[in-house]
Amino acid sequence: MSPDSEIIRLQGISKSFGPIHANRHIDLRIHAGRIKAILGENGAGKSTLMAILSGLLQPDRGRIYVAGRPVRFSSTRQALNMGVGMVYQHFKLVDAMSVAENLFLSARQGVWLSPGKMVAATHRLAARYKLEVDPTARVADLSMGERQRIEILKLLKLQSRVLIFDEPTAVLTPLESQQLFKALKEMRRQGKAIVFISHKLDEVMEIADEIAILRRGRIVGRLDAAAVASKAELARLMVGREILLNVEKTPCESKQIVLKVERLSGGGLGDVSLQIRQGEILALVGVAGNGQKVLAETLCGLRPPAAGHVRILGASWKRFYANPASSDTLSYIPEDRQRLATCLGLNMVDNFLLTTRLRFCRGIWLKREQAQTSTRHLVKTFGIQPDNIALPVVQLSGGNLQKLVLAREFYRRPRLIIAEQPTQGLDISATEEIWDLLLKARERAGILLITSDLGEALSLADHLAVMFSGRIVGAFAADDAQNIASIGALMAGIQPAAGENSVRRES
Amino acid sequence: MGMRFKISRRQNPRRLHSGLVLLAAVGLSLVICALLLEQQGKPSLRGLMLLFQGAFGSGWALQDSLIKAVPIFLCSLGVAIAFRLQIWNIGAEGQYALGALGASWVALHFPDLPWFVLQPAMLVAATVCGGLWGLLPAVLKLRMRANEIIITLMLNYIAIFLLDYLVYGPWKDPSSFGFPMTRMFSQNAVVAKIGAGDLHWGILLCLVIGMLVWIFLGFTRLGYEIRACGENVQAARYARMPYAALVLLVMAASGALAGWAGFLEASASLNRLEPSIMAGYGYTAIVVAWLARLNPLFIGLAAFLLAGLRVGVEQLQLELQIPASFGQIMEGLILMTVLGGSFFVTYQIRLLKKE
Repeated sequence: MSPDSEIIRLQGISKSFGPIHANRHIDLRIHAGRIKAILGENGAGKSTLMAILSGLLQPDRGRIYVAGRPVRFSSTRQALNMGVGMVYQHFKLVDAMSVAENLFLSARQGVWLSPGKMVAATHRLAARYKLEVDPTARVADLSMGERQRIEILKLLKLQSRVLIFDEPTAVLTPLESQQLFKALKEMRRQGKAIVFISHKLDEVMEIADEIAILRRGRIVGRLDAAAVASKAELARLMVGREILLNVEKTPCESKQIVLKVERLSGGGLGDVSLQIRQGEILALVGVAGNGQKVLAETLCGLRPPAAGHVRILGASWKRFYANPASSDTLSYIPEDRQRLATCLGLNMVDNFLLTTRLRFCRGIWLKREQAQTSTRHLVKTFGIQPDNIALPVVQLSGGNLQKLVLAREFYRRPRLIIAEQPTQGLDISATEEIWDLLLKARERAGILLITSDLGEALSLADHLAVMFSGRIVGAFAADDAQNIASIGALMAGIQPAAGENSVRRES
Repeated sequence: MGMRFKISRRQNPRRLHSGLVLLAAVGLSLVICALLLEQQGKPSLRGLMLLFQGAFGSGWALQDSLIKAVPIFLCSLGVAIAFRLQIWNIGAEGQYALGALGASWVALHFPDLPWFVLQPAMLVAATVCGGLWGLLPAVLKLRMRANEIIITLMLNYIAIFLLDYLVYGPWKDPSSFGFPMTRMFSQNAVVAKIGAGDLHWGILLCLVIGMLVWIFLGFTRLGYEIRACGENVQAARYARMPYAALVLLVMAASGALAGWAGFLEASASLNRLEPSIMAGYGYTAIVVAWLARLNPLFIGLAAFLLAGLRVGVEQLQLELQIPASFGQIMEGLILMTVLGGSFFVTYQIRLLKKE
């Protein structure tokens, strides 16, 4: 490999969204024939960085050099023309068309297209990079792995020299992942530069030549993959020895059991058991995509449990959700606050009413005046800005939107709260406020805190459980002197050494 | 040359602003109409004057426009309820036909019932027939994920053919000299006129139901749920709103209201059932609903204006020998410019100087 195989150099890239610094002074070099992994937690700034690299976003500061010359990508089309393309997590294909047609859709060659030539060209390209796929098949009939191959072929068709993969295995089966890795290696052999974004340590160790670790918008480590001693080391770098933010946690007396899950299985879950008492926060930590979503949706009544038992406030799942009055005592604070928890086009009052409407009903009538008064009151006590309740909530910042959701859910005085990544994407001050709110809410409720932020879990929780590939692989009390590296390793799917029980109770 | 545009979403769309855009859009459509008139060698200014006079220029004209506004208003009100839930009911035309069929069946079979029994029975029959015709696509949508746009549109043709079959066949008046029409309804089946004029009591029905729908959408829990579901189905599911029930409800209500329009048109305007009852009100209703931004009060206004357009075009036809389809062209132009104008309400365009 020649030393000047560098294709792209990023220098001092910074990007902020309002008060949030998504990327700070990032330097990165991308070489032909190398696979570079960008490792980081959710919200670490990976996606922003890749959006900048692929022309979707423009940096506030810093420069991009292609082959040593400074460039500005003002669109993805421009980046593509320079040979930089991205395989997105959500594929951008036309389902009703064939593979070959999709391929030529982006190529935009001439006016006339001969179906035979399209198919032949697709065949040739696919064979060259070992990305087998039937050119005549309709995209709608294909598996996720096959669709991803089309996305890759699309970039190769445009002669991209740098291919960026955003969490490419998130939608793949293990076998498909292995096939993808084979194709990646083949592309590397043929001199392509690969950028591989992931938070899965296994994959990164398996495929990468070099690793850059991103945390809170900065690159905090650059490693040669060959020199990485263990996954645990990577985990520690990724999660970091966070200085715990200053959280005042008054001890809370544990009382009645509000949630008991026994051997819940199905939908990717395997034998999940846990319990929460009133006054407790149980943090379920784990890398996103390890079954937390299914668990949350089951507990919140959006999908029935396939096997196993769920008892909420002493009632079986079925009975709990059959009765609107009982299910009103559970609050769900979903990760996707923009699409699930709110109607962005409606104003604050209407969004407040979303889950509280049954309390503002008299017969068929909705007591809107009272709802307005309550909303105004909540906006004041929670310090939501701007404080105009008639504004559509699309105009609120992420932190204020989340405060509105919490204000609404706490207004219902729930007995059980399922909070999913409640501070994701929020800045430090909003994070602290949300943490305070959760700690206060636990006085009358049990809280299941689903998070991939270990710092958050350690700051708030009374108990921790680690989830990996649908199973609880470890459980700790918060004052248990377990070190962070051990949880990090569990999050990455590394079982503790033999003889060590995954569930520890000694202190 | 060195100019570039930047299009961005407006932070605070203002009401006054959107009103001005609306006026400008209507103005633009009138200008295009004038150009079309000129292109046909007709005096454009006089044409527009005639149009206005024919629609709103005299007591008779106003009355005519009001009467024509009744079916458009009812159909549009129904369509708007469905649109609020983002259920695209294009089938007001067919639901209107079914309503007319139901009411006519009652009128033809029980002509001697007293009016205060017969007319409510006709109204109920129209409600049931129109409502069921609306429920059918809703059930298909929920059960088989069938696209309601296609289904409601197709059901229109079925409804119209059914109506044609009946008036050409079993229901044909034996003494009609072969014309496709039913017997005249008995006097008891005809909705009475208000005082000496041509206006019938159906107008009052419109006012009442318009107010009720406005109250329903704005002040009841179901009305709120319809709006929230229409805004974001996922959030509605999160908040445990009964989406399927709401779909059934809005489609039944939508169909029933269109059915009422069919009842009033058959009873008060034609006094019988005949193919000319299908005057495209169900499609105009969609235009009206959009112009009025799905607000029941504005629907009243927009229905009156578009009804006026239909009446005015008749005048134009008489005086200037303009084809009747000119009215449809104008309707389409107004919809196009207003929908196009809504872009300027949500977005702003700024000119940038190149660095």
